[in-house]
Amino acid sequence: MPLANYDWGLIWDYRSDLLNGLLTALEVAVVALVLSLVCGMLLALLRMRAAPFSWIAAIYINVFRGIPALVTVIWVYFGVALAIDVKFSVFQAGVIALTLLYSAFLAEIFRSALEAIPKGQQEAGLALGMKPARVFFSVTLPQATKIAIPNVGNMFIGMVKDTSVFTVIGLLEVVRVTQNVVATTFQPFVLYTAAAALYVAVAFAIDFLFRLIERTMEAPPDGLLSRAVRGRRQRRIQALIDAETASPSASA
Amino acid sequence: MRATPTVPRTSDHPDSATPSQAAPVVELRQLRKSFGDLEVLKGIDLAVRPGEHVVLFGPSGSGKSTVLRSINLLEPPTSGSLRFDGVEYGPGIPGEPQAAERGRPIDLRRNIGMVFQQFNLFPHLTALENVALPLRSVRGCKRPQAEHQAAEALRRVGLLERAAHYPRQLSGGQQQRVAIARALALDPQVMLFDEPTSALDPELVGGVLATMRELAETGMTMLIVTHELGFAREIGDLNVFMEDGQVVETGDREIYAGPTNPRTSAFLSAVL
Ligand SMILES: Nc1ncnc2c1ncn2[C@@H]1O[C@H](COP(=O)(O)OP(=O)(O)O)[C@@H](O)[C@H]1O
Ligand SMILES: [Mg+2]
Repeated sequence: MPLANYDWGLIWDYRSDLLNGLLTALEVAVVALVLSLVCGMLLALLRMRAAPFSWIAAIYINVFRGIPALVTVIWVYFGVALAIDVKFSVFQAGVIALTLLYSAFLAEIFRSALEAIPKGQQEAGLALGMKPARVFFSVTLPQATKIAIPNVGNMFIGMVKDTSVFTVIGLLEVVRVTQNVVATTFQPFVLYTAAAALYVAVAFAIDFLFRLIERTMEAPPDGLLSRAVRGRRQRRIQALIDAETASPSASA
Repeated sequence: MRATPTVPRTSDHPDSATPSQAAPVVELRQLRKSFGDLEVLKGIDLAVRPGEHVVLFGPSGSGKSTVLRSINLLEPPTSGSLRFDGVEYGPGIPGEPQAAERGRPIDLRRNIGMVFQQFNLFPHLTALENVALPLRSVRGCKRPQAEHQAAEALRRVGLLERAAHYPRQLSGGQQQRVAIARALALDPQVMLFDEPTSALDPELVGGVLATMRELAETGMTMLIVTHELGFAREIGDLNVFMEDGQVVETGDREIYAGPTNPRTSAFLSAVL
C-alpha cells in the first residue's frame, strides 16, 4: 500500500478520543501509584521484620511479581468479583490490579533503599532520645526516598504501560480507544502509531518529572529548581545566622 | 575508693582533683553482653561520678564501644546492672533480687549524649537542622525556638557561621563538632564519646579535642573512648584499661606513666 493511502489526519480528527483514553490510563495509574507507594512501604517494613512477618511479605512479593497484569486484572474483575460477590467498576478493577502488582515491586525498591541507609543514622537518632517512629519519618525515610525516586519513576512508567491490557475488561484507555477508532476507519498503522507515540511521550514526561523531584532533594540544593523549592528555608536559616552573629550571647 | 568490686583500683592516690564521693551518675555492675555465642563483655564494673572524665582505652575489639553502647542501651546488656541517676535500666544480676522498677530506654537516652566515630550527622539536613531536629522531637520545641537554641549550640562549638551548610560541605572536624553541638543542645547529664577523632585527618584532630577540652572544663561528665593517649592523660580523672571484654586496670593519670598490670604495660609500650 503506497504511503499516500495513510491518512495521518485521522490522528487530529480523533485527538480528543485518544487524549481521553490517555487521561483515563493516567488516572488509573496515578491512583494505583499512590496506593502502591503506601502498600509497598508497609510490605517493605514487614519484610524487614522478624520471621513470621517477613515470610508473609516475602510470599506476597514473590507471588505478585510473577503474575502478568493481564491475568491479574481478569482475576480481579471476573474472578474475585464473583468469589466475594461485589461488582467492581472497570476503573476500580484496574486500580486494584495495578496496586496488587506494583506494591510487590515497590516493596523491594523500598527495602533496598531503606537498607542502604547506614545503621549509624538510626542509632544517632535513637541515641538523641528520639522515638523510633520519629527517627523513621525524619531521618531514615527522607534519605531512602531520595534513593528510591528513580526506580519509582520507572515503576510508574511501567504502570502506565500496563493499563493497556485493561482493554480486555473494557476500560476506555488508549488501546481500547484506538481499537474503536480503527474499527470505523480501517487505519491500524496510523492509529497504533499514534497510540505508541502517546506512551513514549508519557514515558519521557514521567522520566523528566522524577528527575526534577530527585534534583530538588539534593543536599546541598543543586540547580535552580531545588534552590527555588528550598530557598525559603535557606533564607530563614541565613537570616537566623545573621541575627545570632550580630548578638553575641552570654554563652559565647 | 570507688565501687569496683571485682577489680580493685590499683592506684591508691587520694582523688585530689576529682569530683569526690558524690553518688555515681552511671554505675555498671557485672555487666555482660553476648552476641550469639560470643561474649564480648565479661562482667564490667564501672562507676562514673558527676563531673568526672573517664577514659576507656585498650586494644581494638576489647569491648570499649560495646560498653558505651550498653550505657545508652543501643546494645541491651545480656545481664548485669546498669544504673543511671539511681534508676535501674539493666536486666539484673543473676542471683540478686530483681529491681522493682526499670526505667525506659528513651528516658535514659534523653539524659545521655553520644558522639560517634563516624559523626552520623543527618546528611539531608543543614548543620542547624541537625541540631534543631532533636530539640523539636525530644524537647517538643517549636521550630523558631529550636532553631534559636540550635544556633546557640553551634556558636558554642564555633560553627555558627556554618549553620546553613550541609554535612557534605563541612570538613570531618567540623562535622564532629556539629555532632557534639547536636548532643549538647539537649543538655545531657553525661556525654559519651566513641573514638571521636579516629575518623579524622590528623590536622583536624586538634579542633575536636579543643572542643572536648572546653566541654570538660564546664564540668560535664564525660566517658571517652580514645586512642589519643596524650589527650587522655591530660583529661582523664579515671582511666580504664580494657582487654578481652574485661576491665584490666583502672587508675588516675599515673596509669600511663606507671601501669601496674603487665598487660597494661604491654599495650602502652606497643602504642606509645
Ligand atoms: N553487633 C555485633 N555483632 C557481633 N559482634 C559484635 C557486634 N558488635 C561488636 N561485636 C564484637 O564485639 C567485640 C567488641 O567490639 P567493640 O566493643 O566494638 O570493641 P572496641 O570498641 O574495643 O574496638 C568485637 O569482637 C566485635 O567483633
Ligand atoms: Mg570501638
